[in-house]
Amino acid sequence: MLVTSEKQAPPRSRTSGSALPWVTTVSRLVLACVLIVAGWGKIGTPVLSVQSVKAYKLLPDSLATVVGYGLPILEIVIGVLLIVGLLTRAAGAISALLMLAFVIGIASVWARGLRIDCGCFGGGGQLKPGVEPDYLIDILRDSGLFVLGVVIAWFGPGRLALDSALGLAPERESHDDIEGDDGEPQEQENH
Amino acid sequence: MGKAARDQSVRDRIKAQREEQQHRERLRRVATITAAVVVALGAIGAGWWYAANGSKPEEVTQALAPVTASPDGSVVMSVAGVEKPVLDVYEDFQCPACKAMEETSGATIKNLAAEGKVKVVYHPITIFSQEVNGGVTRANSLRAGAASRCIPGGTPWVKFHDRLFKEQPAETVEGFKLEDLVAWGKEAGVTSAGFETCVTGQQKASEQVDYSTKILQGAQLSGTPTLKLNGTEIGNDVAFKPAELRKAVLNAAK
Repeated sequence: MLVTSEKQAPPRSRTSGSALPWVTTVSRLVLACVLIVAGWGKIGTPVLSVQSVKAYKLLPDSLATVVGYGLPILEIVIGVLLIVGLLTRAAGAISALLMLAFVIGIASVWARGLRIDCGCFGGGGQLKPGVEPDYLIDILRDSGLFVLGVVIAWFGPGRLALDSALGLAPERESHDDIEGDDGEPQEQENH
Repeated sequence: MGKAARDQSVRDRIKAQREEQQHRERLRRVATITAAVVVALGAIGAGWWYAANGSKPEEVTQALAPVTASPDGSVVMSVAGVEKPVLDVYEDFQCPACKAMEETSGATIKNLAAEGKVKVVYHPITIFSQEVNGGVTRANSLRAGAASRCIPGGTPWVKFHDRLFKEQPAETVEGFKLEDLVAWGKEAGVTSAGFETCVTGQQKASEQVDYSTKILQGAQLSGTPTLKLNGTEIGNDVAFKPAELRKAVLNAAK
């Protein structure tokens, strides 16, 4: 453990050369923006949100209803947590899981030959007349966002995060150490 | 007490202090994290409840307003003398979102008409083109729409309309079979002698096609379901929320 030394030596001074904290900060903001836009597009019409979940034909109706009502607000809350950098690692992990679920869902729809709109940013899951489904783009986008979620969960909040301000992210130092100087690997294993 | 022992006790004290400080720090962290988690879960719970509550349908509480099939191919439901506001309902019996709209707001629409607050005009149309799912979806929609046109208005029309949405098949499989349509019509209270042959002979199919073409071009629909209040499209964030829809209609009725 690093014990009290972390009080005297602010992590900032040791890590000024490292870009990693900024990488996670930018990841947080990008992921958060997409989540909030996606949640906002759905939250106004919960019934259609349920419809788009049902369009995947993966969940039983009752569960689809629960997910359809809950997903938009979940996306928005996770997005807000990511922006302010609170409970960052958990929020990053949940986003990554969400994106993984979306990728699996869309891939399964594709494999089963269904023709739907992913409903990612609202709508009832139905393609507009004359529109072709674009599963590959959806999958690539969500895979990219999955990676961002993993980065955040792995490397912690980075800069400009409430977690650091509230002292919830003491583990940041160990990673900064590894980035900043010759750092000892066993320090990382503590966390 | 020797020097070594004194040093030892000082060290112990410092160590104890440090441990206590660490302990307090840990408690504070746990408290902060717990508070943040509780707030986040609370927000999610409140949002979920709000979504579920706002989507709760009304019950149909009274007898339907009189229903008449108009010569132009639409079906009007209104209390005699109520001419405005007008609520146009554009829907396709085969469209899942229309089914969802009916399940959510259908009762509100019926209630408002029965209360004499609005004149409801149903436009059953077929929006699916032949290319979708190899034509299966369009054929389903056409059979259902044509069958509804074999009913000359009245409560049976609305009951049949509701039944069609209830029995809506998946878009990729053949459904709305002719013999089923006949049976559902009879169960809805259709008694006219020509109904069965009208349905099985698909006598109104071309009428359904023509009416759909006319509406899709004339009403500038982006899709179904579409609700229009006095000619202005109502957003989905109102159309799919019974209380909001009721409010919008009542405001227009003032």
